Amino acid sequence: MTLGHNSAGKDLRTRYLYLGIAIFLGLCALAVRLYRLQITRGDEYAQKSEANYIKEVRVKADRGMIKDRRGDVLVTSRPSFDVFITPAFCDKCADEVLPKLAMWLGWDEPQRTHVEQLVRQGMRRQKFEAVPVQLDLNRDELDTLDAHRAELPWAVDWHGVPHRAYPIGTVLSHLLGYMNEISQDELDERNAAGANYALGDFVGRRGIERFFEPQLRGSDGSRKEVVNAKGEMDPELTKSFADKTVASTPGDNVVLSIDIRLQEAAEKAFPGVAGAVVAVDVRTGFILAMVSRPGFDSNLLTGRVTPAQLAAMSKDPLQPMIFRPVQQHYSPGSTFKPITALAAMKSGVLGPQTGVLCTGGYQLGGRRWRCDKEAGHGTIDMRAALQHSCDVYFYRAADLMGLDPIAEEAREFGLGQRTGIGVVAEVPGIMPTSAYHDRATPGGYNKGFALNSSIGQGDVNVTPLQLAMVYSTLANGGTLYRPQLVRRLESLDGHTVKEYQPEVVRHVDMTPEDRRIIVDALTAVVNEPGGTGYASRLPNIKFAGKTGTAQVVKIGKVRLKANQVTYWQRDHAWFASFAPAEDPEIAVIVLNEHSGFGATGAAPTAAAVIKRYFELKADDSGHAAAALELPAAHEVVPPPPIDLLSVPMDPATGPAPPPRQSGRSLAQGSH
Amino acid sequence: MQLRIEKRMIPHIPWGLIVAALAIAALGIWNLASASRPPHTPLWTRQSLNLAVGLAVALGICLVDYRVVQRAVVPIYVLNIAALLLLRVLGHKAKGEQSWFALGPVRVEPAEFMKVGVLLMLAKFFHDDYRAGESPYGPLRLWKPFLIAFGAAALVMPDLGNSLMIILSSLTIFIFARLRWWLIATGFVGLMVMSLVIWNDYVRDPADGHPTIIRQVLKRHQSQRIAGWLDPEADLKGSGYHAAQSKIAVGSGGLRGKGWMNGTQTGLFFLPEQHTDFIFSVWAEEHGFVACLLLLVLYGLIFLFSLGVAFQARDRFGAFVAVGVTSMLFWQVFENIGMVIGLLPVTGITLPLMSYGGSSMVSCMVSLGLLANISMRRHVF
Repeated sequence: MTLGHNSAGKDLRTRYLYLGIAIFLGLCALAVRLYRLQITRGDEYAQKSEANYIKEVRVKADRGMIKDRRGDVLVTSRPSFDVFITPAFCDKCADEVLPKLAMWLGWDEPQRTHVEQLVRQGMRRQKFEAVPVQLDLNRDELDTLDAHRAELPWAVDWHGVPHRAYPIGTVLSHLLGYMNEISQDELDERNAAGANYALGDFVGRRGIERFFEPQLRGSDGSRKEVVNAKGEMDPELTKSFADKTVASTPGDNVVLSIDIRLQEAAEKAFPGVAGAVVAVDVRTGFILAMVSRPGFDSNLLTGRVTPAQLAAMSKDPLQPMIFRPVQQHYSPGSTFKPITALAAMKSGVLGPQTGVLCTGGYQLGGRRWRCDKEAGHGTIDMRAALQHSCDVYFYRAADLMGLDPIAEEAREFGLGQRTGIGVVAEVPGIMPTSAYHDRATPGGYNKGFALNSSIGQGDVNVTPLQLAMVYSTLANGGTLYRPQLVRRLESLDGHTVKEYQPEVVRHVDMTPEDRRIIVDALTAVVNEPGGTGYASRLPNIKFAGKTGTAQVVKIGKVRLKANQVTYWQRDHAWFASFAPAEDPEIAVIVLNEHSGFGATGAAPTAAAVIKRYFELKADDSGHAAAALELPAAHEVVPPPPIDLLSVPMDPATGPAPPPRQSGRSLAQGSH
Repeated sequence: MQLRIEKRMIPHIPWGLIVAALAIAALGIWNLASASRPPHTPLWTRQSLNLAVGLAVALGICLVDYRVVQRAVVPIYVLNIAALLLLRVLGHKAKGEQSWFALGPVRVEPAEFMKVGVLLMLAKFFHDDYRAGESPYGPLRLWKPFLIAFGAAALVMPDLGNSLMIILSSLTIFIFARLRWWLIATGFVGLMVMSLVIWNDYVRDPADGHPTIIRQVLKRHQSQRIAGWLDPEADLKGSGYHAAQSKIAVGSGGLRGKGWMNGTQTGLFFLPEQHTDFIFSVWAEEHGFVACLLLLVLYGLIFLFSLGVAFQARDRFGAFVAVGVTSMLFWQVFENIGMVIGLLPVTGITLPLMSYGGSSMVSCMVSLGLLANISMRRHVF
């Protein structure tokens, strides 16, 4: 049995060796390649393998609610059925899947193209992140999709998702804001700043929703899912990743200082098509109600608005997107007169008892400034001048002291500057000085401007909120507060996360005697026969107030009756008030655009709000959780650096449009 | 015709070969249990049956003196050709290739058996043709074996993998039989030309509109396989999918693997042909580099022992059959593992003893049975 017996031939022997070597080399080549794949690049392939099957699913945090001061929910999240597509698993999406969806959901061509684009974008960015392609399925659409489940790939999914809901509709819409989808640029920007947004996320626009976006949003968690090659989740393997779950942190609730009951009363009482109501607690600066009309429906703007509706809103001459209490300024008309009166007393040109003869007009230079009462008021003192809203008295005061003492007094009370309310963008209003006219008016300053300004016309422009702060400062004895809308932030379980305290901007230089005279006169306006607000007096509550009728267009030779001019030419009606007159708690400002006289267009609304305020106070006094309970006014913090003055503009809508009524109106008389 | 095992045969039973082959087959069944775990139909039981059938066939072959086989070589070859021709007429369609007969529940793949048929036929030729002291083979004396090999390859052809296996192992046998040096040189040049053609057709930027040479002749899926081999990442969802996912599976196995039944590429269907052609990726993913080396060593042992059988064969027929079987098994292992780890283009070829499939298992067992037969009958001299 030796090799010698091998008759197959000795010639083959060396060939076996060569063959063996060749085979050995072949196996070595495989081994080397295996070494490179598994050892050298093993980690890299391990990662690729994980990327194959581990899908990170975001667990969205519940967004915080927005509540009124008593805890009534103003904004919440309700479930809605939405359709999603996970781009990574959507084969033949554009060719087969989307046309089917378009048919069943009734999409038009632009809508389908839009969705196609969304899916393509998602594929590039976060391909395992489900992209919402249709919100708010109705019952029929849901049934249709359910019926066709088998014809759609697994990548298309629909389920209930919490959506922002604004149950109070158009009420407070400017203040609460709305939400819509984040744009790619914003997403990049916010995520670069450390946030964690994904395509299709909604972000707060305007108002509280925007300003408190980080607090309301909370932080999303995440969960790992194991998916197979078809994109199906494997429940067993997924369990082993349970410890990799990061819980979401729900957002905080924002508790406003608004009392929704008072807000509703104000909404109901306000009769106009356009205008504003502001009710503020004079002891703290917290806002209790804020009406801006016309409003919009936050529900509609939260992802459901059509381009046509948006276009209609932007073309609406009433400008429903403008938040009138702070984003629009108006001539204050006669509601400005207390400022002029205080300035006159402070500069000593007119004492409270000094009489001025009103003959129905005032001659200055070659021009006669008319008083509203053409017959004239006769000789009149400060109290009567305020009570009857005699213009001549204030023309006289302005003639004696000039514009600057008036402007100085007005600026003390916060006019011509932003109030620092934050949350929403605001305009600063205008309080002209002689220097202002020298700069801005052809021909420079002359006393005529002082006369116009003394009765709140000319270039004087205020926002309703500014006027509310003027009157609450008058009411509380001279403390100008920063108006605030938010009482506190609370966690999901109701614990206070942050409490906002009253903030004093400054103490106005005003003697108690001067204040007493003004308050007395304003009380007479409402409570004494002949006062311009007498018709709106309340039986049980003695409140102080001042009517105002601000001209919008220059009056011609003959004053036209209200029904002889168009809506846009009619005067704005103002009423500024506080109550109770002796120990004020609340200031209420009403502006009713183009509604004529303040006494009829605005004063009744203010009276209704004041009445409701005291009814609610009586109701609540019986309850332990007294809703209108207030932080102690004396524990005020020093004035803050007012960095909120330049609140960044709403990215969705751009800067607030320039005020419409900032034009100069020459005063020829006002109530 | 003797149908018994004589006493003198027993010392020559190739135990090393048998143990190595059984070890691989056992690991294969264990591996298959993981590759076909639920929700797949569990295949390891059927594969065990395949192995049992294969062992029975191998045992049967051992009982017959291979000289009997030698006499039957021509009929076997002709039968195989007939089967392949018949397949064209009534073959079962699968994966775009007519590759098997469906006999009730059993699928028979004639190409697998043709591989053995060609080896036997070539061995017979080189046995009969041998005259001691003759010069190396030139083209004039080579036309017959050439026809045998390439004729079979052409008949198998829609099945690119097996066809390639027949050509590669036949060429190995030719070289083993000694060719004239310039034939080898020509072959080498041919290889170079082929590389150039592939480069021209698949690697060069097609944008400049140069003419392709073989690309338009090949079937689409075959063409895509070559492209996918050259750049698997280029078309992840399409032709390169297998190659890319297979590399991920192997690479992610690392040193120690993810553990039996724990392979994610395997368990989550990222590898479609994972129980047949891509079975090695399952092994590599779940057991890692060390186990891959172990498998290579086991295959290496099979090659070593079968070369030993050839070395000690009593005649040229036996030697050439043994060399043919060795090269056939080697090329299959090399091409299969090579494609799984991205070294070679994807061609549908099974991994001997590991891949699921009755025909593959039985034909492999027939080959090994022949080896044992040759080994056990060297006492004759």
